[in-house]
Amino acid sequence: MALDELTREFLIESQEGLDRMERCLTELEERPQDAGLIGDIFRSVHTIKGTTGFLGFKRLEKLAHAGENLLGMLREGKLTADGPITTGLLQLMDGLRSILKTIETEDSEGAGEDTALIERLEELQAPAQVQVQYAPVLAVALHGGATADASQQEDQALRNGAIPPPAFTDAPSPETSTVAIVAEAVLEKAQVASDGDTGKARAQGAGTAAESTLRVDVSLLNRMMNLVGELVLTRNQILQATASDPGLTLLSRRLDMVTADLRESVMKARMQPVSNIFSKMPRIVRDLSQMLGRKVRLQMEGQDTELDKSLLEAIKDPLTHAVRNSLDHGIEPPDVRVAAGKDPEGTLRLRAMQEGSHVVIEVCDDGAGIGVEKVRAKAVERGLITAERAAQLVERELLQLVFLPGFSTAAAVTNVSGRGVGMDVVKTNVEKIGGKVEIDSRPGQGTTLRLRIPLTLAIIPALIVHSVEQSFALPQGALSELVHIPPEQAATAIEWIEDVPLYRLRGKLLPLVFLDRLLMPGGAHKASTEKDNFIAVLNADGRQFGLVVDGLADPEEIVVKPLSAVLKNIGLYSGATVLGNAELALILDPGAIALKAGVTMSSLEQKGREVEQGTEAEAGKSLEYLLVEVADRRAAVPLADVLRIEQLKVSRIEYIGYRPVLNFEGQLLPVEDSGGVLAAVGSNPEAQIIVVVCREGNRQVGIAVSHVLDVAAGSDLFEAGTSTRAGGVTLLKSRVTGVVDLGGVPPVRVDEGTPAAWSQSNGELVEAAR
Amino acid sequence: MSSLATVFNRKENAATLVETCSVRLENGLFGVPIRHILEIVGRARPQPVPLAPSYVGGLVHYRGDVLTTVSLRQLLDMPPLDGPQDILVLEGVLEGSGGCFGLLVDSVGEVLTVSSADHEPNPSILDERRRALFAGAYKLKDSLLVMLDAERLDPIRLDALPLAAAQAA
Repeated sequence: MALDELTREFLIESQEGLDRMERCLTELEERPQDAGLIGDIFRSVHTIKGTTGFLGFKRLEKLAHAGENLLGMLREGKLTADGPITTGLLQLMDGLRSILKTIETEDSEGAGEDTALIERLEELQAPAQVQVQYAPVLAVALHGGATADASQQEDQALRNGAIPPPAFTDAPSPETSTVAIVAEAVLEKAQVASDGDTGKARAQGAGTAAESTLRVDVSLLNRMMNLVGELVLTRNQILQATASDPGLTLLSRRLDMVTADLRESVMKARMQPVSNIFSKMPRIVRDLSQMLGRKVRLQMEGQDTELDKSLLEAIKDPLTHAVRNSLDHGIEPPDVRVAAGKDPEGTLRLRAMQEGSHVVIEVCDDGAGIGVEKVRAKAVERGLITAERAAQLVERELLQLVFLPGFSTAAAVTNVSGRGVGMDVVKTNVEKIGGKVEIDSRPGQGTTLRLRIPLTLAIIPALIVHSVEQSFALPQGALSELVHIPPEQAATAIEWIEDVPLYRLRGKLLPLVFLDRLLMPGGAHKASTEKDNFIAVLNADGRQFGLVVDGLADPEEIVVKPLSAVLKNIGLYSGATVLGNAELALILDPGAIALKAGVTMSSLEQKGREVEQGTEAEAGKSLEYLLVEVADRRAAVPLADVLRIEQLKVSRIEYIGYRPVLNFEGQLLPVEDSGGVLAAVGSNPEAQIIVVVCREGNRQVGIAVSHVLDVAAGSDLFEAGTSTRAGGVTLLKSRVTGVVDLGGVPPVRVDEGTPAAWSQSNGELVEAAR
Repeated sequence: MSSLATVFNRKENAATLVETCSVRLENGLFGVPIRHILEIVGRARPQPVPLAPSYVGGLVHYRGDVLTTVSLRQLLDMPPLDGPQDILVLEGVLEGSGGCFGLLVDSVGEVLTVSSADHEPNPSILDERRRALFAGAYKLKDSLLVMLDAERLDPIRLDALPLAAAQAA
């Protein structure tokens, strides 16, 4: 239903007011005497009440009015904001929210009754002995509700929320305030506020924000993003067309720069701080910890970190899931914590930071951690994995099992969690937007869940492949490696069971899908022995298969364009894009291809293997190594840690003191050069060097090498006469090879002022995300 | 010119005039009312979409979006044409930005103003499929202008079209 302009404006303003109220309420629990906070909340409710009056929303007005009365008394100091009052105010807020929601969808307030809530708000005023003064007003507000039977009211009040009967509200009960919520930013604000006049400082802040910002429709932003994408493509074509004309070079350079700036600005306009979803968390933590009998302190960091609006929406649910999980399974009840020698109050940390083209959001608790043995037993019990398989898994791999659908270690199904729909939902939702989930847990010390989210959805990295004389884009996210099979090897390298093609990838059979045969069934296709074959090894939703294409082009950052319904229905393409050479390319959907070609996870056994493979890739415990040559010596880098291999001019390397570093897409990358590769190149700035970029904990490091030789499987070496694994070496191609110690690469100190963040997960100093 | 003359002669008859964009397909002359047309894209080479329904002529790049085209040749069981073709960008059945689609024709001709007095409904001898796609014909002085039902050409509706003829293609 179409709302008129005024109502829509009112809805938006009221929502903002309620968001502010929610923030203030959680702070209020911490500092019940803060007059500034109460004033803020009062203003929010008052504004709603005032506007509803002339818009004619009677139900909303009644409820807001009742709340305003209670808040008025708080403001005048006749009442103290104790636990029950805060709970009442939170319920008032929920009530207002739900009516606003109804107005938004139905253009009317709906037929609900708020009598119980209004009466509770009235009861909360009782202790202050000033009822008489407010009685006439209340009588109006209560309207028909006052006639309800008293015991029934009380009954209902008790049912709706854990609010003590009125008799108990006189004295603030000691156990009501079980949550202490500390947001760091909030603390800072409080510090400022305590110096000066709180109310004034806040009012000023709000005023300037309102003047310098503007509400813009999201669809308009989407349209702008689209047009900018178009401009980028046109620019690419102009740059190609004018490359040979010196007269136009200057102009096209200028066009190039302006386009890049414009694109960045539009992207920025779509960015929103993560505080938009973080701000919902204090309330969730408060409610849950009361329900579960936990004591939890919530810390939030990096709320200014920005993320594309659509992505922010997409991670809201996964993040809520993760927080619920931490509270239910992670942080123990206070008595258990005390028995374990911990602070009875648990800490839940939410941390957001930008790392290159990703935003990392950490949910970190200091709870019981995940008992891997419990995970093992549960997974077997639920039939997610066979007992033999489970016995072989190491700790790291076992942790990954929590992401399997249907997994839960909770003994009892509570209404918070335990239904086994937690972590796999987190994982699928995050992967849907091209992100990744990592988990790290130490028994008795806590669990860290790390969500790695790409900065934007509209532009994704993709590999351009050729088949049926067309170009297709293959999202890099699903791509794990590429294998080239020249025509003369095709006869032996590709093996067949009946008409099913297979390829032996490091000893395991990988099902193959020929893209040309899939796209043009019945068409005349060249046999694989007559052409080059490129196998793109894809991992889509746990299905691993090789997609055989005729050719590869460069990877490209592509702008995703939606397809019309009729083409979406084909089910193979997730969109289309325009390449740098102005050619259109369809974006292949690896998951859909797997389905269409019949690649499935058939048995439980296979599922176990998927998990194992997943862990190998993520946990860095892989036995696969990248064999490199560093100044005539062979060395190995764990393949799972290798992000990419860059070939670049030696002049790109810069130095901080004696330390070589690489400015890579605006990020500082320390380069390890123990082999003296850089020195060997000498002063020739044009010389090419190879840098293997690796992931090490939370940071990235580069290793300068002379050559990249091969990928090979390594095996552990045991010191003679002992069963101790020799550290730092592995057996590669029957030669003992040293493994590059990535952890040993010291972090770069840009200057003394750079704050180094303490990473709990791996206990190392890491660079604060710049 | 001749058609314009026709129009002028008939103007007095209180018949409504329809502005129609004429398109050519082989030797046939077809018309689309210009109120349905958003834009004309000349000399385009659509990118084929493997496994798409046969009437899909491919994708073209249009104003920052990817436009699905419908091949009139395919719909009328004519052999595909090599080389660039013209595209009429038409308003889709669904409102909103993503709703438009392209109609792939051999070439776009001039805009003709035709009078409803010259209009005749679809002859019953046409097959069911053509009866669904055509909206009658205007008798021009020296030829017939077959009107296309722009709304029926939307890919969303084409799925429901009797496809007896298309199976052969």
